[in-house]
Order: sequence, then C-alpha cells, then structure tokens
Amino acid sequence: MIALLGKNLILISLLVSVAGALVGFVSGRTGSVDGLRWSRRFAYLYAALMVAATFVMEYALLTHDFSVSYVAQVGSRSVPTWVTIVSLWSSLEGSILFWGLVLGLYIAGATWFTRRDNAETMPDAIGIWLATGAFFSFLIAGPANPFHTVPNPPFDGPGPNPLLQNHLLMAIHPPFLYLGYVGMTIPFGFACAALLRGRLGASLTRPLRASLLLPWSFLTIAIMLGGWWAYEVLGWGGYWAWDPVENASLLPWLTATAALHSMLVLERRGILKGWTVTLVQATFLLVLLGTFMTRSGVFNSVHSFTQSAIGPTILVFLAISLIFSIALLAMRIDKLEAEGRLEAPLSREGMFLVNNLIFVLLTFTVLVGTVFPLVVEAYNGKQMSVGRPYFDAMAVPLGAVLLFLLGVGPALPWGRASREQLRRKLVLPIAGAAVFATVGFAVGIRSPWTLLTLAFGGYAAWVTIGEMFLPMLQRMRSGASFGNALVEGQLRRGRRRTGSYIVHAGAVIVIIAIAVGTTMKTQSEHQLTKGQTVEARGYTLRFNGVEQRSEPHRTATIANFDVFRDGKLVTQLGPRMNQYQMMREPIGTPDVYTTAGGDLYLSLMNVDIASQSVGIHVIATPLVVWIWLAVIAMGLGGLMALFPPRRSAVAQTAVAPPPEPAVAVPTEPETA
Amino acid sequence: MKRLALLVIALAVAAPYLVHALQVQPALKVPDAEQFVGKPKGTALAGQALYLRTNQVAALLRCPVCQGLSVADSPSEMAVNMKGQVRELLQRGYTEAQILQYFELSYGQFVLLEPKFEGVNTLVWLLPLAALIGGAVVVYFVLRKLSAPTAGQRPAANAPRPDDPYLARVREMVGGEGKS
Amino acid sequence: MNRTVLIVGGLLAATLVGLLTLSLDRDPQAIASPLIGREAPTFALREIGTGRTVDLAQFRGKPVVINFWATWCAPCWEEHPVLVANARRTPNVQFVGVVFQDTEEKIQNFLNARGSGYPTLVDVEGKTAIAYGVGGVPETYFLDATGKIVAKYNGPMSTDILQEHLQKVMQ
Repeated sequence: MIALLGKNLILISLLVSVAGALVGFVSGRTGSVDGLRWSRRFAYLYAALMVAATFVMEYALLTHDFSVSYVAQVGSRSVPTWVTIVSLWSSLEGSILFWGLVLGLYIAGATWFTRRDNAETMPDAIGIWLATGAFFSFLIAGPANPFHTVPNPPFDGPGPNPLLQNHLLMAIHPPFLYLGYVGMTIPFGFACAALLRGRLGASLTRPLRASLLLPWSFLTIAIMLGGWWAYEVLGWGGYWAWDPVENASLLPWLTATAALHSMLVLERRGILKGWTVTLVQATFLLVLLGTFMTRSGVFNSVHSFTQSAIGPTILVFLAISLIFSIALLAMRIDKLEAEGRLEAPLSREGMFLVNNLIFVLLTFTVLVGTVFPLVVEAYNGKQMSVGRPYFDAMAVPLGAVLLFLLGVGPALPWGRASREQLRRKLVLPIAGAAVFATVGFAVGIRSPWTLLTLAFGGYAAWVTIGEMFLPMLQRMRSGASFGNALVEGQLRRGRRRTGSYIVHAGAVIVIIAIAVGTTMKTQSEHQLTKGQTVEARGYTLRFNGVEQRSEPHRTATIANFDVFRDGKLVTQLGPRMNQYQMMREPIGTPDVYTTAGGDLYLSLMNVDIASQSVGIHVIATPLVVWIWLAVIAMGLGGLMALFPPRRSAVAQTAVAPPPEPAVAVPTEPETA
Repeated sequence: MKRLALLVIALAVAAPYLVHALQVQPALKVPDAEQFVGKPKGTALAGQALYLRTNQVAALLRCPVCQGLSVADSPSEMAVNMKGQVRELLQRGYTEAQILQYFELSYGQFVLLEPKFEGVNTLVWLLPLAALIGGAVVVYFVLRKLSAPTAGQRPAANAPRPDDPYLARVREMVGGEGKS
Repeated sequence: MNRTVLIVGGLLAATLVGLLTLSLDRDPQAIASPLIGREAPTFALREIGTGRTVDLAQFRGKPVVINFWATWCAPCWEEHPVLVANARRTPNVQFVGVVFQDTEEKIQNFLNARGSGYPTLVDVEGKTAIAYGVGGVPETYFLDATGKIVAKYNGPMSTDILQEHLQKVMQ
C-alpha cells in the first residue's frame, strides 16, 4: 500500500514537472504573465510532491515495512534509529529519491526568492529546472524505483552497508554533497535563461551569484567531509586518493569557483559574460558527469554503487544536456555584449582571468586523468591506471600557482594603478612571506616545495588580512571606535567582503596544512605483545592487550593503548577490527588522537586475541585538524558572503564605476 | 650364519620403507623475480631505509583486488603479500624500476599507478601541458581585446534598447517617426 | 553563430559521450593478462594431503591447466565439479589447482567432501599468485606442452568454456 502511494507520488511529480517545463518554455517565448504564474505553481507543486514521497519512504523505513523494495534492501530491525533514518541515501535507489527531494526544495526556494523580479527570464529558468526535475522523477519512477512492492515481505532485512554504519560522518557527508551537487541546477537555469534572452544584466547577475554561492558553500564542506571520513575510517592515514568518485565531486567545485570569480568581474566591469555563463553551464554538466561516474559502474572506485540500467539513462540525459548547452552557447554567446573594458592587464581584473585559466586547467587535467584509462582501452584494448602519483604531480605546481594568485590577486587594485601604488601593494606583503618561510625552516622543514608554499602562503596571509579588515581600519582612522568599526564595517556593511576574505584565509590555511602535513609526516610499523611500549614522534605508546566486544550487528576486536607524553597519560587509543556478520573480511577502524599541532594515528595491521599480540601502523601527521577547520570556515565564509546589504546591490548597476583610487573613501559601501 | 641371514632379510624388507622415510622432498620453489627481470641491479637495503623505500615503491603499485588503492595503503591480503614481495626484492638489491617491471610483466600496465611515458600514454602528460600553453595564449589575446581602447562602448544606463516592446508601441502610436 | 564554441564544444562533447558509451560495455574488473604468449613462471609447491613437492617442470610435454581457487569463493564451488570431470576425461592434459588466500584445513575438508582428481598445491605467501598476475578467483591458465601460456580465463568456467580453451592447448 505504501509502496503504491510512493510510486504514484513520483509518477504525478513526473507529469507535473513535464507540464511545468513546457509551460515555462512556452511562456518564455510568448511573454505570458499567466504562463509565468502557472509555471511557478508547477514548481511549488513539484517540490511538495518530492517532499511527500520522501516522507512516505522514511515512514516505511522507520516502521520497518519490508513490503517496500528499498526497505527490504537496506532496512533492518537491529540497527540504531539514526542508521535507519540515514539509510534513505545509503543505497542507489534511495539516493536518487533524496536527489529529487533536494532538487524540489531548491526549485521551490529559487522560485520563491525571485517571485518579484526578472519576469522575462524566470519562465525559461523554471522551465530548465523542471526539465531536470522531470529527468530525475523519470529515473525514480523507472530504473531506480525504490517503491516496488515485495510480494512476500521478509521479517527482517540486511541493513545498509556496514562501512556506512562505522562512523557518524557517513550520515552527514551525503546530505552536504547533495545540497552542493543538486543546487548547481539553479544557476544553470539562470545561465541558460540569460542565453535564451540574449541578455545578462545586473538584475539577473544577483540571483545567479546567490544561487551559485549557496551550493558552492555546501559542496566545499562536503568534499572536506569526504576526505575527513576517509581519514578517520579507511585506515590508510590519508584523506585524498584521487579516486574517480572523489574527482567527480571536485570537478564541479573547480568550475564553480572559477565562475564565482568571473562573476565579480562581470559585476564590476560588465565583461566576461560569456566566460561566466560557460563556467556555470560546465559546472552543471560536470555534476551530471559526476553522478554518471558514481553510478554507472564504469569506473573502478571505492565508492561505486553497483552497475545497473541507471548508467545509460544518465548518459543519455548528459548527452542531451551537452548538446543543448553547446548549441545554446554557440548561438547566443555573441549577444551577451561586453559593457565595459579592462583598464590594464596588471590589475585585479587581469588576475581574475589568470585565475580562471588555472582553475579551468586544473579541471581539464583532473578530467583527463580520470577518463584516460577509458581512452586507452578504447584505443588499443589494454588497461592502464592513472593514480595518485600522476594527480599529485599535476596538482602540486598548480596549487602553488593558485596560492601565489591568492596573494597577488587581491593585492592588486581594480583598474589602472600607478607604479607607486603597485609597488606599495605588491612589495609590502613580502614581509609575510619571509616570516612564514623562516618559521617553517626553524621548525625543521627543508623541502623546497613546502618552503615555497609557506612563502606564498605568508604573502597571501598578509594580503588577505589587510584587505579583509580594510573597512574597519578606515572607519577607525576617521574616528570610529574599535567595536563600532568592527560591527559596522565588517559585519553590517562589509559582510560580503569579510565573508569572501574568510574563504581566502581558509584556502591559504588548507594549502599550507596539506603541504606541511604531507612532507613532515612520519610513519612506522611495530609488532607488539601485551605490556610492550614503543616510541613515536615524542609519544610513548603502551600496548595493554586485546579485547573483544560484541555488539548487535558486529563483533569488535580492539587493541588498547595508553598514550603518554613527557611521562603523563594524555589519552587512550583503541584501533579495532570490526567483523560484520555478512562480510568476509573484517573492516579495520583506526583511532586518532587529534591536537592542534598534529594527529597521532593508529591502525591495525594484524591482531591476535589468543596471543595478545598486535601489529600496528603509527602515523603522525602535523596540522591535519586545520584542514577540516579551515574548510568549514570557507563554507561559512561563503554563506556569509551570500547576504550583502541591500544598498550595495543597488550600487551594482550596468554602468561600470570609474577606476577607484587605491584607498576608497569610507562612506562608499565596500565590496570585494 | 642364520642370524646374519635374518638380518639381511630384515634389512631387505625394511629397506624400501627406510628409503621412503628418509627421502627428503625436493625443495619448494616459488616463481622468482629473477625469471622476469634478471639479477638485482641496485644495492641491498635494510632497516629504516628499507622500510621507507618499501612504502615509496609500494605507493606506486596498484592493489589489483581493491578499487584504486595503492599497495602501500591497502589492508587487503593481496596487498600485504605484494608489499612483502616488494620488501624482499629491495632487500635483495633490486631497483625500483626492476620491481615495477616485475609486477607489470605479470599484471600488465594496470598495476602501475603512474602512467609510463610511452606510446599513447604520453598524451596524459602532454595534454595538460598543451592546455596550459593554449590557455595562456587565449588569456593573452582576451586581455588584449578587452583592454583595447574601443572595447565595450558602454551604453548609457537609460538608453532604450532596440527591441524594447514599449518603445515599439510608442513608435507605432507616433507613426514611425524618430527612430533611435 | 559562434563557430569556435561550436567546434570546441562539439568535439569535447562528442569525445566524452562516445568514450563513456563505449565503456559501458566493459567490466572494470576484467583485466587482460600480459603473460599470454610467454613461458609460464616455474614453481615447485607442496601438495595438500600427500605433502609431496610437485614441480611444474615435471609436466613438460603435456598441456597443463592451472586453476587458482579458494573455498570462500562461491563461483569456485560451481566450477570444481566441471574441472574434476574434465580432468578425468582428458588424461593427456594435466590439471593442477593452486590455493589462493585460504587455510589448508578448509581446502582439505572441501576436497574430502567433494573429491579431487588432480593435485592441489599450497602457495607460499601468495608469491605464485603474484607472479601469475592473479587478481581474484577463480582464474585459470592454459599452458601448452612446451610450458607456454596460451590462454587465461577469469571467472568460473562451464564445460563449454573449458573445452573451448582446451582446444587451444591441445594443438
């Protein structure tokens, strides 16, 4: 009964989205106001239907209704309640339903927030959104149907994949990822609508920017959560392996970041419209490619869902979207006229172009590396691999260039600047570079790449802090108190600027933490019997024996360690092997002691309870925790930059402002 | 005499069993790297150097039963065996190139995580480089075009656009005079 | 109509979609073996049950079928009777089984229950499997009378598949 209800809700959502898309596109051509109103109604209705279908599925999961095929697949009476709730997205069919839910909510939100303006472009945008919605409803109704009725429902089910139950991070990584991924549909709709209209002006730029920044913030955090989960759960002590599915989440992030920067130039100077639109389209297409890579079984990956009919279906939609996007771009891009010009190449605008180049290059390289094994196999039938060594070799220099741009870019003023100004802006931060590099050398870093990274990082840190607090300092210089200047300048008026520079600061910290952590990592292997101690990186580890613990769905064999530093007990660690009933090999879970300076990471190689002996891998990585914290800051900074005060929005008209002096007058609203 | 004969018969009867019991089985032999890549060409390693180098070389090999993990990182039994093999070969003085070649000869190029620079594989290294150069050229020309003195004549904010529907109606009403 | 966009975009799109379409057919787990056409790596391993050392070289002059398997591998259970029956039917071909990541006890129990008609050998630290490029079980190698690997099959074999490959080595 419930299965039937869910299935029908999805079928209705398919009809609604197809109808809504048609109404949207027709209204876009005829300019009908009624048409727009109806397409908006269809958008809200689609969202309501997806929410209802999700409720139905969660209800079935929580009541252990095994007559619903998806519940029979992943449900279980013996797992904790939180696992039941999150098993909605633990397996393929449920995850596509979840995709539909997030898409519906985004479409409803975007329709609501644009209800008062852009009447010319909204019908087309809604049309695109609902067309995408129709595809996903089709997937849920057809190849990925979670609502089949099971004729003889079993009493209990197997539960979701044990690897997903091991850690709480598994619960929150997918929602963040979907909030990021799925959300890219909205700016795609705006970009295509702009192309269809042949016009991209200020009134559309604002929703375009907001609708890109919101999912971008979520995607940033989602990528980090994936890495953090891999680090805490998989036991090899690393967080990024350039796995095809990891790359799939990174590719749209790269183009989205490039698009956000390109949009800044668009707002300021009215140029780079074509670039921006192309990058936004590319982001959505890469999302489709990414979901294909994850679900089609074509790529060998830790993450892959199993092969099914879904792969070809997504590929068809990807092909259609590609053809549509390229055709639209080719036919309309020349209509997006530049409304301004570049004053000088050596300016902030010029740097944004270089920034675009580097991000696109990085995207291209990661994409080539990921699909290259397919190319070779299609060419001569042989299999080969493109793995971590390749991607690291490519990413490291490009990362260094990006860090360089993070410093030099914001240091340069907008428009033409005099020699004197340039010199002042570019030379002063070198002090920061020197400080960071010296500190690095002092703590023992000798690798040239890492020292260079520190130098670039120090330069960028100086510039970022300086630019971030400029509004506050200006207010203080004209007599305001510290508190007043901080609140007014940074938080009330300058939210967008502050948020953006928080993102930059986070990026600098992340790159430095990755570089230092990788080159200064130490690891060792030890075989121990009960009572033995071993030294590692200033810590003393004492092995206290092996114990076994039974839990309802697994048996855990835990090796207990006391960790001492300078003679004092600082923590106890218990790396373990979890044996789940249905898996042949046990899954190892490491245990990590995290401090601000670095992590002490223990994972088991072998363990024997009878002889009370254990083989462990000890990995000490500096500064790891800063990667997670800094990326969270990046996500929050992005959200902060999402809410600029209304006044600065009005100031951004199609007329480009005259070249600004290097120090702006405090009364002007400050924007990045 | 009789005792001697009995002894001889006893020995004759016991002999085959004795021979069988004392027979040592031929030594076990596993396929050796030497069959594949010849004699070791480098220096033998030991201790911490051996440990570090094992991890380095193992990080370049792909675990065939895992999905993308390197032999250094994978906990699976196959990877542990392969890593042990790497360690043993390094101990005997094989070079990294020889070890990689050994695994390539039995598993194929699939097992190498870093693509070899030969044949069609060169593309994966050259395409990004080509994109960098191509992209830089494009950026150069775009910068030039955008900073040209005649670039982007800014239309005045209030100038009516040629396809503005209201303007078209006004023109209609006024009778087609005064085109903008 | 912007030709640059059309051509560049069209090329990229066509390449990508074409590539992905072609790849949908392939199985990312099936890896071709580079050993085909080369001399089989030699080994001398201990046989389960008798404890004898069995050397591959002693079978020179006869075609050999080497089957890597384990008791935890469900397809291997299905394949076993096929191998045993064919070993009996073609006495001029030597069948050899090599244990892959399993315990002797389990293998012994399995063979006791289901019978065997040819030697099953125990590997040393997986070295033979590595030399043969074994990535999973069951995997079967077909050697001709000179000791050269002529064919390899990944996965459980039916009688038809086995006989098809036997044709190749019996030439």
